[in-house]
Amino acid sequence: MKRQGVAVIGTGQTPFRSRRDDKTYPELVQDAAVLAMNDARVVPDEIDAIVFSMAPTTFMGVNECDKWSVDALWAQGKPMLRVHTGGATGGSALQAAWAHVASGEYRTVLVAGADRITETPDAQHVLNLIWDRFYEHDFALNTVTMTALAAQRYMHKYGTTEEQFARVVVRARLHALNNPDAHLKGAIAVADVLASPRVAWPYKLYDICPRSAGAAALVLASEEHARDKRSRPAFITGIGGVSNSVFMGDRMGPYADTDFADQAELVQAARECYAQAGIRDAAREVQTVEIYDPFSSFQFPQLESLGFCARGAAQALSDEGAFEMDGALPVNPSGGTLCTNPIGVTGLVRAIEAARQVMGSAGAMQVPRVRNAVATAIGGSTQFFTVTMLSDEPRGSMQRG
Amino acid sequence: MDVYVLGLAVHPSADAIRDARLEEIAYRTCRAALDDAGVTRAQLDHVTLAACDELDGRAISSMLMAAPSGAYLKDELRVTDSGLSGLQMGALRIASGRFHLGLVASWNQSSIGPFEDIGRMRADPFHTRPIGMNFGIADGLFASAVAARYGFTDDAASERVALRARTAQRNPRAVRRAVPEAAAVRGSSFVANPLREAHRAPLTDGAAAFVLASPEWLAAHPDTTPRARITGAYWAIDRYQLGGERLAGLELVRRCYDEALRRAGVARDAVQVVELEAQNAYCDLAYTDALELGGATTVSPSGGAWAQNPYFCTGLVNVAEAVWQVAGQAGAVQVPGARCAVAHGSHGYAQQGHGFVVLEKMP
Repeated sequence: MKRQGVAVIGTGQTPFRSRRDDKTYPELVQDAAVLAMNDARVVPDEIDAIVFSMAPTTFMGVNECDKWSVDALWAQGKPMLRVHTGGATGGSALQAAWAHVASGEYRTVLVAGADRITETPDAQHVLNLIWDRFYEHDFALNTVTMTALAAQRYMHKYGTTEEQFARVVVRARLHALNNPDAHLKGAIAVADVLASPRVAWPYKLYDICPRSAGAAALVLASEEHARDKRSRPAFITGIGGVSNSVFMGDRMGPYADTDFADQAELVQAARECYAQAGIRDAAREVQTVEIYDPFSSFQFPQLESLGFCARGAAQALSDEGAFEMDGALPVNPSGGTLCTNPIGVTGLVRAIEAARQVMGSAGAMQVPRVRNAVATAIGGSTQFFTVTMLSDEPRGSMQRG
Repeated sequence: MDVYVLGLAVHPSADAIRDARLEEIAYRTCRAALDDAGVTRAQLDHVTLAACDELDGRAISSMLMAAPSGAYLKDELRVTDSGLSGLQMGALRIASGRFHLGLVASWNQSSIGPFEDIGRMRADPFHTRPIGMNFGIADGLFASAVAARYGFTDDAASERVALRARTAQRNPRAVRRAVPEAAAVRGSSFVANPLREAHRAPLTDGAAAFVLASPEWLAAHPDTTPRARITGAYWAIDRYQLGGERLAGLELVRRCYDEALRRAGVARDAVQVVELEAQNAYCDLAYTDALELGGATTVSPSGGAWAQNPYFCTGLVNVAEAVWQVAGQAGAVQVPGARCAVAHGSHGYAQQGHGFVVLEKMP
C-alpha cells in the first residue's frame, strides 16, 4: 500500500444542548454522520472504515455504545474501532483515522461519535472516579478542582487576575453567537462572570463549560480522492500528541519535565506537528485556532505553549483584543469548549471547526483567508494532548505523491 | 502492510495475578518487550494502548496506565475494542510513515472484575438489558444458532474442549490445569442452553506487549533482527442485533480472514498456523469450519484460550503465539516449518467484531 496525503472532505455536527431526549444515542450519532457524509458528497457504501470517538461511557450508561451504534452508522461488515483518551478523544480519534488513510490501507474513513453527559445526575462524581481509588478518590478531586489548582499556579506565576479569565468567557460567549450549534452563547459582561456562583477558587460557574449532549462526525479521504470530492478540502498537514503522568504533583517543581500550570506538553506536541507542516513561526503562519478550553484558565497557557506568544504574555494580549474575531489571532471563533462540551466528541468538534475555517465553510464564524488552522484536544488529568494542523494545501513532510 | 515485530512479551499466565497492581502488570510486560527488542523506552516515538475502562474498573483507564506502559511524554493513543485492535492500530500508525518505533500494550486482570455484570452494562437500555443480556447469554444464543445450522452437538463441543485443553498443557506458557475429560464437560451445568459452563474457556489474568518498527527504522539499524513481519491486517464489525443470520451466518469472520490474507498477498494454503480466539467450544467449532481450516493448517497449536484467556487481550496473546511460531520459538507447541501464521481476535456480544493479523517469517 502506498502512503498518501489526507484531507477532511466533510463535516457534520448536531446542535448541542443540555439534553437530547428526542434521540437515542445511535440516532444522535447517525444525525452527525449523515451531515458529514452529505457535506462530503459520499454515501455510506463509499466509507471504507469507521473510527468511533467516545470517552467514558459512564455518563450515558451503556458500556459499548459504539457497538450499539454500528447499524446506525451503516458500519456492518466494515473495520471499526473506538478511540478513547478522555477529553482528548476527538483529537486522538482524528489522528487514528488519519493513520488509516495515510497508510494507504483505506481511502475514505468516517470519524463519528456522540455524548450525552447529562444522562448522569452528577458528572463530577463520575469524574472523581477517573483517579486512583486508593490514593485520590477520597479527596474532593474532580476536573473542576483539579484544573482550579493549575489555574491558581498559573495566576501565581504570571499575576493573572480573575477579571482576565472572565474576559475569556465573555469573548467565548460572544463568538458563540455566530455558531448555530453552540450550547451556551450570549452577550455577557465581565461583571456577570465575576458575580456567578463560586465553585472552586478561582472558578465561578461561568468560568466552567456546560455539560452538553450532541454528536459530531467528519469524513477523511486520501489527497487524490479529496480533490475529486471538494474544491477546497482541509489537508491534515501535521499531527502531534503527548501523554504525561497522571500525577499533578510530578508536573511541578525543579525536577519536573513539564509544568502543569503551563500545559507545557503542548510545546512538544506542537513542535512535532509544526515540523511536519513546515510551520516555522506559528504566530505568522496560522490564521486561527480552535483550542480545547473547558475552563477559562485554559486559553492562556495553551496559546503560549503553541508558540503564539511568550510565557505569561497571553493575558495582556487577551485584554488588548488580540484573540477576538478582528484581532491578530481569532481564538475559538465557534465559542470553543467553554460554550459546548460533549466530552467524547469535543476534540472532534475542535477539528471540525478548524477544518471549516480552512474550507471556507464556517459561515458567520469565518475568519478571512485561513491557510492554516490549529485544533487541540486535552484529556485525563490534563495529561493527554493532541495538536492537529489543518491547511489549504499539503505542506511539509505530509506532501506525498 | 510492511511492519516488523522487533520484540514482544506476554506476562506469565495465571488464573489470578495476586502480587501486582494492574500498573505493575503492564510495567513488567512492557519492560520485558523492550528488553526483548533490545531497544530503550527513549527510542520509542509512539505508544498504542488497548484497554477497557469497565474491565479495568476505572473511568479512564489509561490515565493511570499510560506511564507504566512506557507512554510518559510519548505520543500515545488508546483503543477500547480489544488487545488485537491495539496491535492493528499500532501497525497502521507505523504504516502511515509518521512513526517508526512503537510499543503496543494491552492487559486484563479478569479476576478482579464482575465479568458478567460488566457484560450486562454493555446492553442497550431498551431491548437487551431488560431481558438480562450478558456475555454468557449472548454466547448461548450463538451456540444455539450455530448448533442448529451446522449440527454441532454437545458431544462435539465437549470433545473440542478436551482437545484444546490437552493441547494447552503442552504449551509452556499456559496456565497449569488438569485436563477435563469430554464426559466431565458434558456433565457441567448449562450457562444458556446449549452452552455449558465447561464449554467456556476459563478466564485468566494477563498482559501482552509488542515493539513494532517501520522498514525505515530497520534500514537505519541493520544489526537488528525482527522476530516477524506483519504483512496484512483486517478487522470488521457486525450488526448489534443478535438475529439468527448475524449469529449463524459467520460471513464476517470468513470475509475478515480472506481480506487479511488478500492484503498480505498470502494464499490460504500458504498458512501453516491459525491461532483462533474462541471463547467457547461452539466458537471453536464454528470458526474452524467457516474458515475451512485443517489439513496443512494447524489450528491453535497453543491451546488458544484454554492456554490462557485474559479476555480483553486474548487476541493479542494469539499474535504473540503466532510470532513465536514463525520465529521458530514456540517451544513444545512449535509447528515444524511454520512460515506464515495468522492470529485472530474477537470482541463484543457473541463476537460482534473479528480481526486477523498475518505474520510471516523473516527471510
